Amino acid sequence: MKQLLFLCALFGFLSWNVISSEDTLADNYAEVEVKDGGTVVGNVKYMGDLTTLSLNLYADFELPETSKTATEKLTVSMINHGIKYAIVSITDITRGKKKAIPAIHPIIDQQRNNFIPHVTAIPAGTTIDILNGDEELHTVHTSTIKNQPFNLGTTYKQRISKTFEYPETIKLTCDLHKKSYAWVVVLDNPYFDITDRNGYFEICDIPPGTYKFQVWHEELGKLEKEVKINPKELSNIEFVYSQY
Amino acid sequence: MKPKALLSKVGLWSATAAASAALVIGIAPITAKALNIPTEVTEDGKNTYKKFCSACHGEEGKGDGPVARSMLPKPRDFTRGAYKFRTTPSGSLPTDEDIYRTISYGVPNSTMIPWDILTEQQRASVIPVLKSFSEAFEVRKPEAPVAVGLEVRPTEKTVAEGKKIYEEKLECWKCHGVEGRGDGPSAAEQEDDFGFPIKPFDFTTGKFKGGNSSRDVYLRFTTGLNGTPMPSFAKELTDEQRWCLTHYVISLIKPEETSK
Ligand code: HEC
Ligand code: HEC
Repeated sequence: MKQLLFLCALFGFLSWNVISSEDTLADNYAEVEVKDGGTVVGNVKYMGDLTTLSLNLYADFELPETSKTATEKLTVSMINHGIKYAIVSITDITRGKKKAIPAIHPIIDQQRNNFIPHVTAIPAGTTIDILNGDEELHTVHTSTIKNQPFNLGTTYKQRISKTFEYPETIKLTCDLHKKSYAWVVVLDNPYFDITDRNGYFEICDIPPGTYKFQVWHEELGKLEKEVKINPKELSNIEFVYSQY
Repeated sequence: MKPKALLSKVGLWSATAAASAALVIGIAPITAKALNIPTEVTEDGKNTYKKFCSACHGEEGKGDGPVARSMLPKPRDFTRGAYKFRTTPSGSLPTDEDIYRTISYGVPNSTMIPWDILTEQQRASVIPVLKSFSEAFEVRKPEAPVAVGLEVRPTEKTVAEGKKIYEEKLECWKCHGVEGRGDGPSAAEQEDDFGFPIKPFDFTTGKFKGGNSSRDVYLRFTTGLNGTPMPSFAKELTDEQRWCLTHYVISLIKPEETSK
């Protein structure tokens, strides 16, 4: 049966056509029907002093005017201190909704010597297409152990498909443009989201229970919180980083 | 279907040709097929590794043996399963034959000597030991070796075509330099996956680490050198273009430098 599900966990700008999630990996996550799941919405913030961040507006990077970047690594909204590109996930969930593998491959494009987007979160088994949008040579290099690593030279308009089978936090680098890199965070269950530019995220269809929620940010590290999910209820959580 | 069959036959033939060429210049031939490479770690393998390899590669294969400290390039750390010299695609594990070849041939310009003082059986026996150091061999299998097509003859035209690829299409010079001296604009900042500085190869020396035959050179930029910045250009070229590039790279060898 083919269904069109809205994959609320990801990006919020695409609804993916879900193929039958043929799980090739023996893992400890069981797919079950979730009828009365709860939802978590929330915000990830940086409450340290914004003025102390050494500002280095990334020249080649277009940012909304309401955001401030302290290096490419940390983008903080001036409106509500929300942090972009933080990944919120449930780390101890063993059963729940289908692990929907996006049928349309998420894209990471090397554009003007940057990887765009800078952070991508995917469920294990997802294929990502890596593009070279620049009229010059790039390389795309990973050095993982479980997921097969790769290091490929690519020219203008090249498109490379890579499938990530194992949960791992992977850095993509280009050996010709040492400053630029991207993160691919591969997760073993579908309960995660990546924050938007105001730090918001949403995770839905969570079977009632108490779970560990974790937020990861490449510069600020990890924070954890235990949250009780009630049937069909909406819970609000906030993660606050105080120090840079 | 037909051309494909032809290609693989030719591939096989050129492999034997490369092997016999290797024989002529005194390199151990690729006889791994005839050899019995054990699939499990044996006592013989463990002893050989301990006696001949661990001083550099370390008891547990971490590349941290007692004499490794001041060495550059570092002895390979086997725990990541990243092998430079392979016939398999980028990132893939090597085949047993690839590992056997490196042990027999050594790595020129490094302290890794050709291990011809060991019997063929001893060289084969350490292979499962090296593999046992990395988790990678438990979760992954080596992919099939890349297809190497019929070699194009080196002529003025093919070398010129190769030069164009080197300088314009694939911009090899960014790392290897326009004259192939390993001094391109990006050369100084290169690091391997273990965090050690690494130099793009200086083609003028002619002492290719992965072997000097045209097939070796073809394989190096087609498969890349795992664990290093040297990428694979597998998707970028046709087979014929690869041979052109191979011949151009070989043409960068300066005879006066090789005799040094
Ligand atoms: C004197 C030090 C030394 C000893 C002893 C030594 N090696 Fe090495 N070995 C090296 C160095 C250095 C490298 C890395 C060369 C490079 O990357 O350029 C290397 C690389 C290798 C590689 C890497 C192949 C690849 O494709 O990346 C293999 C396999 C290997 N050695 C096997 C062995 C075996 C088997 C023995 C024992 C029979 C051995 N080595 C003994 C120094 C040594
Ligand atoms: C990002 C930098 C970079 C680029 C671009 C690059 N190389 Fe390399 N290449 C290296 C490095 C570094 C090494 C050396 C690895 C080592 O010593 O282990 C190397 C090694 C090699 C070797 C192996 C030599 C040997 O010792 O056997 C060949 C052949 C080669 N490169 C060809 C090419 C060609 C052809 C191109 C262009 C299509 C190219 N490279 C582009 C960095 C690069």
